[in-house]
Amino acid sequence: MRPQTRWLTLLSACGAVLLFCGATRIVAQEAHVDRLTGRAAAGKPLYTRYCAGCHGDEGDARGENAQWIDPKPRDFTMATFKCRSTPSGSLPTDQDLYNSMTRGFVTTNMPPWVALTPHNRVDMVAYIKTFSPRWRTAKPGTPITIPPEPAPTVQSILRGRDQFQRLECWKCHGPAGHGDGPSAHDLTDSKDDPIRPYDFQTGTRFMCGSTNQDLYRIFMTGLDGSPMPSFDDQLKPADAWDLVHFLRTLQPLKTPELKIWREWFSTHGRELKPIGPEGGGR
Amino acid sequence: MIARCVAGLVLLSVGGAAAGPSLRAPPAGTISGKVTYTGTPPKMRPIDMSKEPACVTQHPTPVMTQDVVTGPANSVRYVVVYISAGDQGAPAATDTVRYDQKGCLYIPHVAVMQVHQPLEIFNDDPHSHNIHPLARVNPEWNKSQPKGAPPIRAAWDQPEFIPVKCNVHPWMHGYFAVLATPHFAVTDSSGNFSLAGLPPGTYTVTAWHERFGSKSQEVTVGGSETKTANFVLTARPY
Amino acid sequence: MVKRFLKAAAPLATLLCAAMVPNRGGITARSYTAAYAALATRIPAFARKYGLRCSACHTAWPELSAFGQRFKDNGYQLGNDRDSPIWQTNGYWPIAMRTTPQWRLESTTNQITDAAPAGKTLTQAGFDLSGIDFLLLGTLYKDITFGLVPTLDADGTAGVEAAFVRFDNLGSSPWANVKVGKFELDNLLGEKRLTWLSSNGGFLYAYHYLPVGSANNFGFGDNQIGAEFSGHSINSYTRYSVSLLTGDDGEAGLPGGKSMDAMFTLSHAVALGSGLGPQRVGVFGYLGHRPTVFDSIGGASIPGTGSANKSFVRFGATAQLWMGNLELIPLVSHASDDAALGPGADKPAWNSALLEAHYVTNPRLLVQGRYELLRMSKQGDPAIPKTQGNADAFALGVRAYPFMFSRDGLAFHAEFAMTKTIGTVPLSGDGSGVDPVSPATVVWSRSLLLAFDFAF
Repeated sequence: MRPQTRWLTLLSACGAVLLFCGATRIVAQEAHVDRLTGRAAAGKPLYTRYCAGCHGDEGDARGENAQWIDPKPRDFTMATFKCRSTPSGSLPTDQDLYNSMTRGFVTTNMPPWVALTPHNRVDMVAYIKTFSPRWRTAKPGTPITIPPEPAPTVQSILRGRDQFQRLECWKCHGPAGHGDGPSAHDLTDSKDDPIRPYDFQTGTRFMCGSTNQDLYRIFMTGLDGSPMPSFDDQLKPADAWDLVHFLRTLQPLKTPELKIWREWFSTHGRELKPIGPEGGGR
Repeated sequence: MIARCVAGLVLLSVGGAAAGPSLRAPPAGTISGKVTYTGTPPKMRPIDMSKEPACVTQHPTPVMTQDVVTGPANSVRYVVVYISAGDQGAPAATDTVRYDQKGCLYIPHVAVMQVHQPLEIFNDDPHSHNIHPLARVNPEWNKSQPKGAPPIRAAWDQPEFIPVKCNVHPWMHGYFAVLATPHFAVTDSSGNFSLAGLPPGTYTVTAWHERFGSKSQEVTVGGSETKTANFVLTARPY
Repeated sequence: MVKRFLKAAAPLATLLCAAMVPNRGGITARSYTAAYAALATRIPAFARKYGLRCSACHTAWPELSAFGQRFKDNGYQLGNDRDSPIWQTNGYWPIAMRTTPQWRLESTTNQITDAAPAGKTLTQAGFDLSGIDFLLLGTLYKDITFGLVPTLDADGTAGVEAAFVRFDNLGSSPWANVKVGKFELDNLLGEKRLTWLSSNGGFLYAYHYLPVGSANNFGFGDNQIGAEFSGHSINSYTRYSVSLLTGDDGEAGLPGGKSMDAMFTLSHAVALGSGLGPQRVGVFGYLGHRPTVFDSIGGASIPGTGSANKSFVRFGATAQLWMGNLELIPLVSHASDDAALGPGADKPAWNSALLEAHYVTNPRLLVQGRYELLRMSKQGDPAIPKTQGNADAFALGVRAYPFMFSRDGLAFHAEFAMTKTIGTVPLSGDGSGVDPVSPATVVWSRSLLLAFDFAF
């Protein structure tokens, strides 16, 4: 081939690739949940139907209703997600996104989409992943290992209480988990919108689930995009389970932890020093 | 540019070969200067740290906010000055950058580093902080660091000016300036900076300040000379 | 008109009819405008309240999607604890209204008039109005839902299409919910959410047909007054309901006396395929009673004193099947009335089957078609010819929504519907209202509708 022809061919090929890249941005993205494979091209009309009113047609949380909603809808272009099984700063797995969509977020405008077929939901997960270029360059993080939960005991709860004091959770969540800690009122999320910490005394479902495993995952991976940090570096798994058991005692729910705690507290409660600047402990 | 690169490499290799067993250091110039401002800068305010009594005691007089720190003769501190174009494949910076949380402040206010350069974050206070770099291009993460915890190690893949905050102490506010180039500096309390070790060539030097924006200029360095490049940033009172 | 015919032919029917307040939803007893005016539920107020586009709850409004069905089953609660009015934005206007200005053409063959006793084709065409539905639905409190749907006919007659309270998730279980008041029956193919509006297309023969000489007044698609106990799985894929209803076809005032009806539905869905919704199948059954004797004073019946109730049944099966964007809705049903509710000594019975197809090209374009047939299997009187009353109904339509938004909605609606009935007046009420020349006369009734269906 003559040099000019060769260049021309190369240029045309590049041009075609570039043109195609725009089209294949959507077509190539897939999601895998259980045995289902979702495709972004199938997810796009579903997203427009169900999601775009809040999350925006560009996935940038600028749907027509976003301005009236608090908390704001997730901005998919940032690829930062609260509910993950993966470490802070890493991308969530497809299962994480699927679970968030299915479960919805209590006390926000995001409803549970459990009524949609699993296939529809997986297709939408695939489409959501096309909004940020990070999904093309990075892989989801490795889900953290959650060891089996030990049985709740008073000792575990008391150790968890010490962790609550040491890690200074009370600074935001308050000494009784009422969301009224000294730093609670100035909290802002990563977009500088005001945000409140979880109030354990309401007993409402956590942002990212309702089981003890979900609670473990929440503070070990952190809620990216919010003030809630990851404590993965600071807690050994046994300590983390202790903290889970203690946190359950702050909620007005029928949990075995609260039952155990109440029994113990009625006779030994006076031994405890209040959590907070005074230092907690006994 | 490629031609220049190749020429440079050829020169280096030739120079190296000609030097024989004893290596002569290639010529390296310096760009230095001063960053000042015109206009009216915003007033800094004393920080109320009463939420964290342990920090109040560390500062006999209240600390002022550090968004705009000015010095004598209208100089500006914490301006990141770096080579934004013209870099000739300089070796990557590998020393660890240190970032401290002390007295509920970030020290230094602006930490500069190259992409992939290791960063270590220390908590020197008797209570917890959380480190929350609000990255948009790089991944955003948020980690808790209690009293006495080991330093948090991190590194960044993409150039970006990343605001850093602590959610527990909302007045804490700093920056990670992550740059593609290993040639960078931060102006001192008199607004002075110096970029050394620059091979001969034409460079675009950029000065960036978190409130005053950025300005660039082209500087040509030949041999081992020192070129002066001053910057005047435009200040606004808000 | 049908009313006049019945008055002339059957004193019993007269009593029943006289006792009734004209029912907007009861096609048989009213003028043409009633046929398509009985449409209700599509609630822009919900779109405004939750910030969801209409397309979230509706495949093509007013038809519900799986998500919308769950929302409705949950008592109009979205499941995120944000239903209370204190969470709503300033744009939330809790009342929704729906109406349909239109141009239409109706044409019915073989109609007897004074000037043409052998029958002629009667045609009417022009711009017209539908009635207005006011939709007020929501929660009074967590897990206590209310619904109120006052209506205004195009001629200004006011009515109440629905008025109910529902206690949801009793014992924190979605399987136990109680609704009391006037409400639509829990039909899988709900007539209140039909995507058809025309005189001949806007109702189902399966739901409204009554045979020649019938004294019954029941319409399966009409809202009824009673109590419903219902339940559903978390995603509303399995659903059931059991209702106890007053046997007055939704008329208030207990005009019938003491008659009670019962109904049940049961449906199950599976997520099969990648279509726009799960595959649903369901069965339904209705056991009704109507009085055949009234006390009288001075020769005139005393309303509300009905007795000697006789029963009738309706039961059938239906499905909602999705293949991509194509939805198929088949329905088969069997109906029979007690002989005392019919013209003779036999129990009239009939079967009907229909297939409706929707192609939801996208949330803003729906193309649809329906074919329905009804066949008498036994007439109430041996003197009535076997085929009299048999009907075939056919409809084609398009709905195009110029925007899909979360404040309100508009649809350009085009529909062509035609029914062929043998020896009876068309169920739409079009024409002269007089039975055709002979029991074998084939009457064609056609509707062409171009409408602007909007809801605010």
